[in-house]
Amino acid sequence: MVEKETKTDKSDFLQLVREAIGRKTPLLYAPDYPPLKSNYTRQQEKVRTITAKNLARKSKILDQLIENASFAGWNVHRVSDHESAAEKIGEIAASVKAKLAVRTTETILKSVNVDGALRSKKVTPVVLASGRYRSKSDLKEVAFKADLGISGVSFAIAETASCVLIPRKGVARLTSLAPPVFVAIVQADQVLENLDDYFAMVRLQFQKTRGRYPNYTNFVSGPSRTADIEQTLTIGVHGPGIVHMVLVG
Amino acid sequence: MAEVKTAKFKKASSQAVSDPKLQNTLEHVMGHFIEARAGAIEEFGDESWDQMRERASSIKKHALENLDYYLDLIDRTIQKNGGHVHFAKDTQEANRIVLDIAKKAEAKRVIKSKSMVSEEMGLNKALEKAGIEPVETDLGEYIIQLADEPPFHIIAPAMHKTKQEVSELFQDWLRTAPTQDIKQLCIIARDALREKFSTADIGVSGANFVVAETGTVVLVTNEGNGRMTTSTPKIHIAVSGIEKVLPAIEDVGLFLRLLPRSATGQRITSYNTFVSGPKFSTDEDGPEEFHLIMVDNGRLNLMRDPEFREALKCIRCGACLNTCPIYRKVGGHSYGWVYPGPIGAVITPVLTNIKQSKDLPYASTLCGACRDVCPVKIDIPKLLLKLRHMAVEGDSSQRSVSWIERLMIGQWRKTVSTRSSIERATNLARFLQVVVTKKGIIRNLPLPLISGWTKSRDFPALAPKSFAQLWQEKFSEETDG
Ligand code: SF4
Repeated sequence: MVEKETKTDKSDFLQLVREAIGRKTPLLYAPDYPPLKSNYTRQQEKVRTITAKNLARKSKILDQLIENASFAGWNVHRVSDHESAAEKIGEIAASVKAKLAVRTTETILKSVNVDGALRSKKVTPVVLASGRYRSKSDLKEVAFKADLGISGVSFAIAETASCVLIPRKGVARLTSLAPPVFVAIVQADQVLENLDDYFAMVRLQFQKTRGRYPNYTNFVSGPSRTADIEQTLTIGVHGPGIVHMVLVG
Repeated sequence: MAEVKTAKFKKASSQAVSDPKLQNTLEHVMGHFIEARAGAIEEFGDESWDQMRERASSIKKHALENLDYYLDLIDRTIQKNGGHVHFAKDTQEANRIVLDIAKKAEAKRVIKSKSMVSEEMGLNKALEKAGIEPVETDLGEYIIQLADEPPFHIIAPAMHKTKQEVSELFQDWLRTAPTQDIKQLCIIARDALREKFSTADIGVSGANFVVAETGTVVLVTNEGNGRMTTSTPKIHIAVSGIEKVLPAIEDVGLFLRLLPRSATGQRITSYNTFVSGPKFSTDEDGPEEFHLIMVDNGRLNLMRDPEFREALKCIRCGACLNTCPIYRKVGGHSYGWVYPGPIGAVITPVLTNIKQSKDLPYASTLCGACRDVCPVKIDIPKLLLKLRHMAVEGDSSQRSVSWIERLMIGQWRKTVSTRSSIERATNLARFLQVVVTKKGIIRNLPLPLISGWTKSRDFPALAPKSFAQLWQEKFSEETDG
């Protein structure tokens, strides 16, 4: 069966939009919109200022993160070094009676020896990376079977208690999503004060890479939740219902 | 397009107001929403919250006035990111684009995270007709899909269902044991949907925002189904109204502050997902194909009129529903299409059929509460008035006004006779905008609803709280004397 192709052409569509706005022809120049105007150098300057500000306010921002994260339903554990981070994660795994834990391969997981800590609690650690599985569905299967997911973060945002997760090689999307318990390892120097700090940095990175910016990012800002039945808050629907933030430094 | 039942507004609302169970639910849930929102915006203080709304409103205004440019930019950016952008004039075309993609992929199962535009499209029905199984994965949407009902509320689609009813649906469809435990009901849904997640070929999501600069679809969710939908299947299709555009990535922070606070009273939702294209080849998982469908479906009719264009600023937070005295009585289904409440009363007639929807603009007391809570400052009462002018000539307007008046007063009488609770009577008086005396005599105030729409243009907005106070003063006068 061949259906007649009547797909609206992009230029026709844009012309309809234009006419509805009350214009006959395309704009000759980009609209005058300040957030789109600042060039790479100026953006760099902006981000430099942000970084300096966050450095100066570091301890305040960390306090803010801890307060907001606790409020948002994170279990926050502040530790001073990598060793105690690993130990803490072992304890968390034991406390939820985990058998199988999946993790990413980020740099922080080379410093924090979670595998050792997990094994000492009789938990099997597995790296969730497609190279290790025959097919994508095998990876899914392992992720869905795991009791615990462990990953580092790209940033954390104090204002919203968000962990910014950017999937890439060694960082599967499902690590932080499929298991019922999730542990995020946050390093103190990854913490930004607010959303605007973060988006300024994204923009800089976008400019720097000429648009080759990662296609997928998630903020995780607490446990999976719903209030869809009788407006009653319930934790842990499709994502992890228990979330831990191990803050190092 | 989803079936339009707006012509039945009167009948449906009469039924809704005389349904005690529904009235109870509405009162309970709406009160909860309003409280949560108030708590969440408190940290900013009125002035700076107002400035944020002002800024958001002007960003949306700019985006709409240059929409052709930004849509083109979105297309170019997403293409560069490795994705595809489609433009659909109407829902039929949008459905066909989805079906074409599905056929090419030989898809059998589609998982969906919440999308109001796909509700407009009636996408589930279209998929079913093509032999493809659509599965809603947002818990509320899943429930109403099983019940075969439209959403009751923009952000709480199944708020009208009791746990008992949900349990019965699950018993029928999933053969699970009856339970009144909400946590258990969530687990049942989670388990049923897990299987769907791991086997679906396509994930369909909506879009809360589409950022032109970076070609990024932003999803604001709580359950994690939005992440699943954009992670497990090999194809991700996002459907969006053309008005969802934000020009710059640095605009997003402001809107992420406004939307969840206005919607659920959260500082932020549990998840925000940013999708700009398919997975990179080096990524471990994620869809290999990404499509964004930008849907018009009558939005350009709003765009053409500089005043109605304002309605396209809407970010679908639902705050105007929660605060609306009429929505709080007639509920979501009475409005007869996809978008209920004050914003639904404005856009539904234009997006569907003005003649058929002629009663919707009267689903308002013009009290102004919707305008006051709107995070993008849409002057909804003004637009409703304009629609009234457009939709009716002479008498019939008066008839409609007195109709909703009668409906509400009837409801008021019942309330006073069955429950003398001051609280309930206060609520009713507040939305009726009448003063109630001890003997149950209603004294009209020269307010919009009562005096008809012709004079109401100049009438100052009435904040619900201050009216409640006014009424209470009157009440105590009467009782003291
Ligand atoms: S009109 Fe305003 S208040 Fe109503 S849903 Fe849209 S953004 Fe929210």
